[in-house]
Amino acid sequence: MHQLSAIELRDKFLNKEVSALQIVDYFLKRIDSYDGQIGAFLTVYHDQAREHAKKLDDKLAKGEPLGKLAGIPIAIKDNIHVKGELSTCASQFLTNFKAPFDSTVVKLLKAEDAVIIGKTNLDEFAMGSSTENSSVQLTRNPWNLTCAPGGSSGGSAAAVAARLVPLALGSDTGGSIRQPASLCGVVGYKPTYGRVSRFGLVAFGSSLDQIGPFATNTADAALVMEVIGGHCDRDSTSIPHKRETYLEKFDKTLEGTTIGVPFEFLKDLKGDSKQAFEQSLETFKEKGASIVEVDLSTLKYSIAVYYILATAEASTNLARFDGVRYGIRAPDAETLDQVYDRSKEIGFGHEVKRRIMLGTFVLSTGYQDAYYKKAQKVRTLMIEQYKKAFETCDLIAMPVATSGAFKIGSKKDPLEMYLEDIYTISINLAGLPAVSVPNGFTSHSLPLGLQLIGPQKEDVRVLSMAHAFESETSFNKLPPQFED
Amino acid sequence: MAHLDKEMIEYLSDLSRIDLSEKEQQALLSDLESILTYIDLLNEVDTEGVEPCNHVLADMQNVMREDEIGEVMPREIFLSNSPAQIGGMIRVPPVIKGK
Repeated sequence: MHQLSAIELRDKFLNKEVSALQIVDYFLKRIDSYDGQIGAFLTVYHDQAREHAKKLDDKLAKGEPLGKLAGIPIAIKDNIHVKGELSTCASQFLTNFKAPFDSTVVKLLKAEDAVIIGKTNLDEFAMGSSTENSSVQLTRNPWNLTCAPGGSSGGSAAAVAARLVPLALGSDTGGSIRQPASLCGVVGYKPTYGRVSRFGLVAFGSSLDQIGPFATNTADAALVMEVIGGHCDRDSTSIPHKRETYLEKFDKTLEGTTIGVPFEFLKDLKGDSKQAFEQSLETFKEKGASIVEVDLSTLKYSIAVYYILATAEASTNLARFDGVRYGIRAPDAETLDQVYDRSKEIGFGHEVKRRIMLGTFVLSTGYQDAYYKKAQKVRTLMIEQYKKAFETCDLIAMPVATSGAFKIGSKKDPLEMYLEDIYTISINLAGLPAVSVPNGFTSHSLPLGLQLIGPQKEDVRVLSMAHAFESETSFNKLPPQFED
Repeated sequence: MAHLDKEMIEYLSDLSRIDLSEKEQQALLSDLESILTYIDLLNEVDTEGVEPCNHVLADMQNVMREDEIGEVMPREIFLSNSPAQIGGMIRVPPVIKGK
């Protein structure tokens, strides 16, 4: 059953070939058997998921209409609220925090009869590129258990890669969906900024954050987008557009399309990643697409810009964790000031403190113009350069990461970890939609991902063309040790 | 590059309301120094006359709504996440001292 796509599973359920309870029990059993090795899940909703499945079976028996995601189990990154359940953000600060409401995305998934099966691990508050910053547990890459799954949505990516669940949600502030998708060999999609509501997502970098799906194929990712990609009046950055249909617009042709490639920016790409990327461009050409060079020379500044803006926004957003209203409170705090100062001291991990401090610095008196404002200006230049590039092409192609999965514990220097996101970060800075789709393997049999980037609001085009690429290739594989 | 020293780390720790151990301060000082050195890369970009980005979606306007009462979270649900409470309210150490 784990070899089936989400759409196939749903259809089997609707055709009464298999019950929702059988589906849910099957995936719960996979989680129970395999997640001890992987560590993707922080919470598994055994009882709630089974109860929900029984209700769906009743609905089907009574002939009541069922939704687009009927009977499909889905995992949720643990920074997205599911009402009444823990939302820890993998932080000691929120160990006991239970979400008082459903996030908009979870509400929409439930309305289409998806079964929420559990919450997945992440770098604390989504700050990291390996999931090693989780204060709860390590997550291992299903392709090689000594490697990291990438991050910050490493739990969601690993869970889908090992087929512990057919679908998962993650969040992407600088690459946190696409990079783990690439390193785990699954499809990961970051929508246009504002396409998916962030209501109920614990905020990190508000001008960058987007929620998006992980799936084993582009059609399943598109199905999730049909459900969650709509306007929400509880997120003031939500684009005022209706939900779009993706699947009916899918066609497999690339004939007459143009793919832009920033060759100059990619000149340092080497080894397996370079080979896989060049092979992907060949595939596009064989299918009738033409390749043109685009100038994205400002992208070399994207990490510098990002670590000013994202940390500035994080330092503001995380000020709300004050030890007063929710989360932990330092037990030895005797004054209100000590409640603030000591609760943060014991509640936040090192990376979170590092980013808050850096963000506070770039916003502080005397430095704001030199850092924060300068970064916002360079961001403008980057947005303009992307706009100009899209005048000559339909999509831009880049690798997702510089290499395949890296060993757990191998990147100790924070800057080295930050540089991991060189190909993904500018997409968030410019608010663009982008997908990671499997495009090959390293010589060590670790998956690699191709990134396809579209102009703002062209979400359908991105997933549709990724689908056309995917149907020409066969890299959406299951790690051998989780096959049966 | 901006000058970072122990006083600056203490100042930032104060601004961000995070107590830090001596060891953490040391580590942060060296981490932030290396990150800021990297960020200095931006100095080579000519941004004369460039507007800072205020919203990534160019056509987004201020979003306003009528000031109406919507769904209200029940007090007991809100309080269930608070670390200390008394009589249906959140409890904090005394702010104003004296008789």
